[in-house]
Amino acid sequence: MIQAMFMVILTVGIFLVMGRVYRRLPNPVLVPVLTSTVLVVAILLVFNIPYETYMTGGQWIDSFLGPAVVALAYPMYRQRQVLKAHMMPVIFGVLAGLCTALGSGLLFARMFGVDRASILSMVPKSLTTPVAIPVSSEIGGIPSMTIVFTMVAGFTGIIFGPLLVKSFRIKSSLGRGIAFGSASHALGTSKAFEYGERTASMSSVSMSLTAIFGSVLGPLFVWLFHI
Amino acid sequence: MKLVRIIVQIAVLFIISFIGEEIQSLFNLPIPGSIIGLILLFCGLSFNLFPEKWVEDGAKFILAYLPMFFIPATAGVIQYPSLLSFSGAVLVVVVIISSLATMAAAGRVSEFFQRHDKEGER
Repeated sequence: MIQAMFMVILTVGIFLVMGRVYRRLPNPVLVPVLTSTVLVVAILLVFNIPYETYMTGGQWIDSFLGPAVVALAYPMYRQRQVLKAHMMPVIFGVLAGLCTALGSGLLFARMFGVDRASILSMVPKSLTTPVAIPVSSEIGGIPSMTIVFTMVAGFTGIIFGPLLVKSFRIKSSLGRGIAFGSASHALGTSKAFEYGERTASMSSVSMSLTAIFGSVLGPLFVWLFHI
Repeated sequence: MKLVRIIVQIAVLFIISFIGEEIQSLFNLPIPGSIIGLILLFCGLSFNLFPEKWVEDGAKFILAYLPMFFIPATAGVIQYPSLLSFSGAVLVVVVIISSLATMAAAGRVSEFFQRHDKEGER
């Protein structure tokens, strides 16, 4: 019990400190979730603490993921006007993104001879992390690998996104927002803010829809292609 | 007072998530229970069955700290040291290429449909 409490306090404490560091130095490499995870892993390794021991407290924090996903309904509800006004481009853009994410992931993974467990873990990579975790375990992936992949997908949007939308001549705030939100979920949405409020809200709506559609299409895709 | 409201509202979100999980196991659905909860809450808000004020503060609070909640799960990579090897690098490259393709497809397709949109604003 005391051990579990300690793990919770350690995690929350590290996250709050890293949040302050990020506010001082707002560099994408210093996003709190990344630096905090690296620190937690370093502490576990240095003090030789098994992951199972850490998870006695970690699972308490984990249990907030469910309600956090439910909470996503609130910003989505707030943006219902945006969604209503651009129903067709949003829905088809998100679906195109999702199919490309699933299809190209499988194609390139096969090309490079990636093993089955990693391919499965890659399926939910374009979904927001709290949704990607349960989808990954549902289809037989390894959730912590999935999280690494979703982070990579997110950082791809932050780092290469601006160049990509420019070279593919995606010029409207709608197109850009949907591009960022579909491929790079919350991290992409944070980048979309730099293009303005409208791009950011399109990105946020796309992120939520990608999560909802993806949680249905992901398992269906795995079943259809016998991965 | 606000703190009490936040705690109560987070408890409400827990209950909705729990209901979603029950529905999932009852009908044996492949969709995560929390997503069913999200859809339930969205419908409740949209059809005015559930006032916005009942979840507003709790939702804002929990979403502000969202990244913190996946630290423990992410730290699970510690069990897979192979991710730091050459094969791990290959996986990262695959994810990057696939994500770029995803962005391009989502952006182009949405702009294609936008042109057929009456508003077509920039």
